Amino acid sequence: MLLSIVIFLPLLGVIAIALLRGLGANAVKWIALGIGLLTFVISIRLYTEFDTANVGFQTNSEVYQKLDWIPGIGASYHIGIDGISLWLVLLTTFLTPICIIAAWNSVEKGLSGFMMSLLALETGMLGVFCALDLFLFFVFWESMLIPMYFLIGIWGGERRIYATIKFVLYTMAGSALMLVGILALYFQNNNSFDITTLQGQFEPSNLLFLAFFIAFAIKVPLFPFHTWLPDAHVEAPTVGSVILAGVLLKMGTYGIVRFCLPLFPEAAAHYTPLIVTLAVIGIIYGALVAMVQPDLKKLVAYSSVSHLGFVVLGLFSQNGTAIQGSVLQMVNHGLSTGALFLLVGMIYERRHSRMIVDFGGLAKKMPIFATIFLIVTLSSIGLPGLNGFVGEFMILLGSYVGGAFSKWYVVLATTGVILAAVYMLWMFQRVMFGTPDDINASLPDLKPREIAVLLPILLFIFWIGVGPNTFLEPMAASVKEIEAKVRVIPETPAVGQVNQMDTDDAVVDVKTATLKINEEEALSK
Amino acid sequence: MPLEIPDINWSLLMPQLVIVSTLLIVLVFDMFDAISKKTLGWMTIVGAGIALWSSIDLLQAGTDQTQFNEMFRIDSYSLFFNIIFLVSTILVALVSISYLGSGDKKQGPYYLLILLATLGMMLMAAGNELIIVFLGLELMSLSLYVLASYFRESPASSEAGMKYLLLGAFASAFFLYGIALVYGAAGTTNIPEIISKLSVGDQLSLLSESPLFLAGIFLLIVGFGFKVAIVPFHQWAPDVYEGAPTTIAAFISAGPKAAGFAAFLTIFVDALPKLPTQATGVIVLLAMLTMTVGNVIAIAQTNIKRMLAYSSIAHAGYVMIGLAAANPDGKSSAMLYLFIYCVMNIGAFGVVIMARTADGENLMISDYAGLGFRKPLLAMFMTLMLLSLAGFPPTAGFVGKLYVFKSAVEARHYWLVIFGAINTAISAFYYLRVVVTMYMREPEEELEFKPYPPTLVIGLVLAAIGILLIGILPSLLLDQAQSAVQSALL
Repeated sequence: MLLSIVIFLPLLGVIAIALLRGLGANAVKWIALGIGLLTFVISIRLYTEFDTANVGFQTNSEVYQKLDWIPGIGASYHIGIDGISLWLVLLTTFLTPICIIAAWNSVEKGLSGFMMSLLALETGMLGVFCALDLFLFFVFWESMLIPMYFLIGIWGGERRIYATIKFVLYTMAGSALMLVGILALYFQNNNSFDITTLQGQFEPSNLLFLAFFIAFAIKVPLFPFHTWLPDAHVEAPTVGSVILAGVLLKMGTYGIVRFCLPLFPEAAAHYTPLIVTLAVIGIIYGALVAMVQPDLKKLVAYSSVSHLGFVVLGLFSQNGTAIQGSVLQMVNHGLSTGALFLLVGMIYERRHSRMIVDFGGLAKKMPIFATIFLIVTLSSIGLPGLNGFVGEFMILLGSYVGGAFSKWYVVLATTGVILAAVYMLWMFQRVMFGTPDDINASLPDLKPREIAVLLPILLFIFWIGVGPNTFLEPMAASVKEIEAKVRVIPETPAVGQVNQMDTDDAVVDVKTATLKINEEEALSK
Repeated sequence: MPLEIPDINWSLLMPQLVIVSTLLIVLVFDMFDAISKKTLGWMTIVGAGIALWSSIDLLQAGTDQTQFNEMFRIDSYSLFFNIIFLVSTILVALVSISYLGSGDKKQGPYYLLILLATLGMMLMAAGNELIIVFLGLELMSLSLYVLASYFRESPASSEAGMKYLLLGAFASAFFLYGIALVYGAAGTTNIPEIISKLSVGDQLSLLSESPLFLAGIFLLIVGFGFKVAIVPFHQWAPDVYEGAPTTIAAFISAGPKAAGFAAFLTIFVDALPKLPTQATGVIVLLAMLTMTVGNVIAIAQTNIKRMLAYSSIAHAGYVMIGLAAANPDGKSSAMLYLFIYCVMNIGAFGVVIMARTADGENLMISDYAGLGFRKPLLAMFMTLMLLSLAGFPPTAGFVGKLYVFKSAVEARHYWLVIFGAINTAISAFYYLRVVVTMYMREPEEELEFKPYPPTLVIGLVLAAIGILLIGILPSLLLDQAQSAVQSALL
């Protein structure tokens, strides 16, 4: 029941606000905040009750639930979490109350609608991370689009309508293919949508893999499916951007870990060279484009493209360390980029501009703002001691040492870390240093409410940076299981086997790459 | 030669009998000026309600019989369709009561014709015999021709009726010719007999390849195609929907389409596997064309009634997916889809009626600008109906689409499903555009809206509850549809 309460409590909040909206704006805000905080507090119990020894989904009856829903087509209400979804659930419940506080005074029209959308969105996102039934997963996946559509479309910037329609159509086009894939899986899974029983070979595995992967790649977004993201981010209200970057994009990477890799390991290996190439292009391209952005929000948006390239790179490495780094990096990116969008939103509320050229010298007049901004910037760059470093390092290390692809990919990807330092620090310098003009000199520093919004995020930025084991341990068992499933290459392959595979160049590439690594490992021992 | 009159079990014919008696009562009461014309509307609702209740009763009793020398079938399949027709009729009557002004003398024939059309639909769904199907089709169509041109002072309405009549008559002729050819080839008009003659044991018989028979089948497809408005036989639909009174547009888009499909499914789901594969190919092609053309042209519409017309064409395409699957799941998914489609489409037209001002109807999509905040109730209903039409969960439209796609995947029509899924994304564009207009654009001029008539609100609330209930707990309806198909198999 615990998990169901976490998922549906925000929906209850939506109903409560709908009924009590007559009480005025303040009541609506407090109801929303109360529900958001309560959901977070309850969700902490998911962590305290988490059994790290459990490899698969938690079997605790408080968390795991399976009820008949539509027996006629074999769909059930089936939810649960493992070490991977646990963190995404907590990230969601953590960011939502922060967003509610951040939106406290910035929504002018339709406040109750705004809060209702935000809470409905939370239910949708939590449902995606917890669903263990493909039908249920798809229901949440699609229904989450509607509140996001309203958030961008009603409370967004000037070109909000274009951005919101683009966002919805991109996602729907992807999920249309995924729906076909889900149905094809359904018939090969004895007419059941149960995720936990999905095992063995699914045919045609390459096509099914692509059906799922494209849907997720659009969401991530992987280059070249990323064009909706800058539009959506720039036009979305601050809170919309935070949720979008913080949680929504993670639904794509989560889908890859949950479905693409374990269900179709061979197809995943087959497409790994292509996907990793795209990921590396995304890392470098995102960073280069971010560098030349005149608009702060667009810069952060393109940095997301770059950062999520790392996550995808790690996920396809077939290496436990890198996969674990990727999962951690999902959380890190949610925190750092979420905080960056919040900061950009705060400065926009003061200056009504997001253009970097309009700023300069803010550090003098807004010391608290500048300090927090610096910490978050460094976290995004990956400074050791902060959260971003741990994730990126694990990804790069894991995929370099044991990755299923050429080391050159990793070398190229590493340049992305350097480029990140270039665009972030250059931006920081232009915004914060120098002499402020009259307008910038008159900007007030952060208010207590705004500091309260940012402090919890800073706490986790340091915590993950200094003591990552708190976060890595619970996910270790689940990641190991994923790793075992995706490892298509036998540990010590016979040479003859490789020759038989000559027909399939890509697979041979992967195999020889791993062979070399195995040899090197043997040598170093 | 003595004429043998078969025994008739009148209790099985309750739904039809109730409709006939209501019809007569409305006819008689219409003569008295003292009786408020609104009462006639309520009589229609009560009559249809009783018929609905008795249909559900018969369905739950598991009735499976034929009457009138096997010409008339009362089984869970026809009863399920009865429920679709009667629910549509009740919803349309609810939205009509306020739509036709109160002191209007012409209301009697209006409800009379709606009831007659409903009776025709029930005949079509229950027809076990091509002749009965044709009889029902004509009864329904003739009533609809008159209803489409009901506002005879309005040139658009007259044009709609005329166009509908001409093209409809054409379609009927095709259909009748098809029946003649099939009869010539098969020697019977009894549908199960025709289907059983298609195969001998496990082998297909000569009949299934006889050119005469296939020509007849082809003409039947054309005839049905006109009636349910599938591409390329769809041209009449947008003009008729635009010109006809909005309540009638809602009615034509719902019940008659379901009735056309009821007969279409009876014949083709069982016959398709026994026909040359090209026949399935034709159905698949028509389904793809219908979805794509309907959705793509709907994008270009600025008039909401025309947009809904093209959308209803596209929805016929989704139902065709279930037909093309030609398996039990396909049949029940098409039934489920038709039910859901009728409720949400009448709902959408109902909101169009709700958005009337004193000057008349606001049919341009741009008229809906800013309604999201000024008319929250109206905008909320419209959003719900459109999201359901677009197939977003957790609405009924999603369940309907998913189930239809599922049946086609089962039949290995992967391309058809991919087409359907991509079309869903295309359709989201124009449905959401209305939502965008309502919530995200500022109005150009302030419109004075009429107060919402209570009957209309009741109708919309019922439709909205139905959409959400079926969306969240689809088993309520799904099990009925599945068992209706299963019982036919036994």
